[in-house]
Amino acid sequence: MSADLIAFDNVSKFYGEVLGVNRVTLHIPPGITSLVGPNGSGKTTLMNLMTGLLRPTRGSITVCGLTPSDPEKFFRLVGYCSQFDSFPKGFTGFEFVYSFLRLFGHSHAEASRIAWESIERVGLQEAAKRKVAGYSKGMRQRIRLAQAIAHDPRVLILDEPLNGLDPLVRAETIALFRDFAKEGRHLIISSHVLHEVDIISDQVILLSSGYVVAEGQIKAVREEIEEHPMQILIRCTRPQALASRLFEHDHIVEAKVHSDGGGLLIKTKSADQFYLLLNQVALGGFDIQTVAPVDDDVNSVYGYLIGQEEATR
Amino acid sequence: MNPLWLSQTWAVMRLELKKSFFNRRSFWIYLLALAPVLIFAGHALDVSGRRGHRQQMGARNPGVTAEKMRQVHSGMTRDEVTKLLGPPAEKITTSRRRGVERQNWAYSDGSAELRVYFAGDEVRGTNYRDACNFGEDTIIFAAVFQFFFLRLMVFFGCVFVFINLFRGEMLDRSLHYYLLAPVRREIVVAGKFLAGLVATSVIFCTSIGLQFTILNMHFDPQVMEQYMARGSGWHHLLSYLGVTALACLGYGTVFLTAGLFLRNPLIPAVTIEIWESINGILPAMLRKFSVIYYLRSLTPVEIPIDRGVPPPLALLALNVEPVAPYIAVIGLLVVSAALLAIAARSARTLQINYGAE
Repeated sequence: MSADLIAFDNVSKFYGEVLGVNRVTLHIPPGITSLVGPNGSGKTTLMNLMTGLLRPTRGSITVCGLTPSDPEKFFRLVGYCSQFDSFPKGFTGFEFVYSFLRLFGHSHAEASRIAWESIERVGLQEAAKRKVAGYSKGMRQRIRLAQAIAHDPRVLILDEPLNGLDPLVRAETIALFRDFAKEGRHLIISSHVLHEVDIISDQVILLSSGYVVAEGQIKAVREEIEEHPMQILIRCTRPQALASRLFEHDHIVEAKVHSDGGGLLIKTKSADQFYLLLNQVALGGFDIQTVAPVDDDVNSVYGYLIGQEEATR
Repeated sequence: MNPLWLSQTWAVMRLELKKSFFNRRSFWIYLLALAPVLIFAGHALDVSGRRGHRQQMGARNPGVTAEKMRQVHSGMTRDEVTKLLGPPAEKITTSRRRGVERQNWAYSDGSAELRVYFAGDEVRGTNYRDACNFGEDTIIFAAVFQFFFLRLMVFFGCVFVFINLFRGEMLDRSLHYYLLAPVRREIVVAGKFLAGLVATSVIFCTSIGLQFTILNMHFDPQVMEQYMARGSGWHHLLSYLGVTALACLGYGTVFLTAGLFLRNPLIPAVTIEIWESINGILPAMLRKFSVIYYLRSLTPVEIPIDRGVPPPLALLALNVEPVAPYIAVIGLLVVSAALLAIAARSARTLQINYGAE
């Protein structure tokens, strides 16, 4: 198994008779990977399985060639910011990050320095000496993030990390995630806010009721959904003429003039063939201003794969 | 031993010691530890007060002796009592029923005290109370230590501290931070256990030290010096401290392990309390699977069981087959080590499922 992959091999987890996840086989490369699915779809279970907080009922999991049964190596590599919004009682933000850094074997001075650096990365210096019990939800989220990244992990697992953050901090946090991913690390993020996933992710894993329904780059996943032809909006002059020109080709299944009369919404079975065709059409004298796919985002893909109702749950 | 493991154990202990000593919930442990200190302080104050009072009564009637006081018995008349002991130092008329006056006379030789109860002219009862003596207090201390301090205070203190080491963090949903650190779970168990042991030993051994000091405070300094320097005072004190620390060790491992397996702390607490109480009547083999079996063999003062002692208390004091001190210590260490090994094994497979807690 590659030392650069997070690998799930036929993993199932049952809580008694209740299904957590079932028959999951995944090979996750470095970059930002989002686990997408409604509440109860198995996102947190997958993350807890990855970090050894849960043990699989069947199958095996390795993270860059290591397993949680060897915690001394494993957790120097992995950082996990879980969704549990709870802390050891009576700690300040700094003490919280510092105390768990001491478990890595760092000296007092070293642990203090690293803790402050980490707190600075999440912009919480001013509140660091206050008790965590008095923090707002967003501050608690950030101090947990500081604790998860303090040891500079190669694999960072974040369960709903943007929950409770205000827009400015949210943007800063997303930038932080991107910096992490640029360095060739793994970032596994769970979210049920689909537009957020679109912005952040290099690849997605779509989950529904404990099953992985699709994985990979979102555009590639979209192209594989044959029963729902891709929709593309073309802004142009003479949309009726363009429609009749496009209909000469089999892969175009539908063409509708936009309600404002300034464009055409087409459905095609093959995006690749469509874009080739479009080059020829443009050379044929049509004034094409913009071309944009309208349903290759996570939301649409999720809706097509598991039904709109589930996607918006 | 790997130096990293040592530093990690210390890091876990630092986190846990703070919680064990300064957590708001720890208030109950301090209260448990303080309870016998308060009882002995009350006893010491009472004895000191009574001593002063008896000395005053003795001064009023110098002819009274302990021997004479013991001669007073029911059926004697007021004149006979007065002839033997003289006029009472205190005389209280308690009531008058059906024309019969009831009186309570008090005598003292300066240390012992006699109360004589009259109905009309006749003695109906007496109550002779000897001066507070050292041997009696030593036995009282031993009885309080065995029956109440070990079986209730230390026992329930350990229930609280050690069960909370894992179970409390599961309820607070903060245990996962340990399980996400690069620390072997055996080290987490060891660090938490040592922190619990240090906390309970410090709290309860301090309590023993205070109890011992306060109980003996009202005796004459010369008596105390003789007991401590030339008698068995230091041996007794150190034995009580050692037994207390061993009790924390034994009960600590029991409840740490129970906290990993059972959700409701009441179940193991009550079950083990019953098991410890009936230890004296268990078959010889089963008796060894108990903490109190070893502790009782290490206590420095034997408690005499009088005929008048009620059966439940007599059962608690029953030590049919005491073992040699070194066997008791080794036995307790072996039982504790076995339980810790079970706890460590359980921690290795521990999963976090707070929703089910």
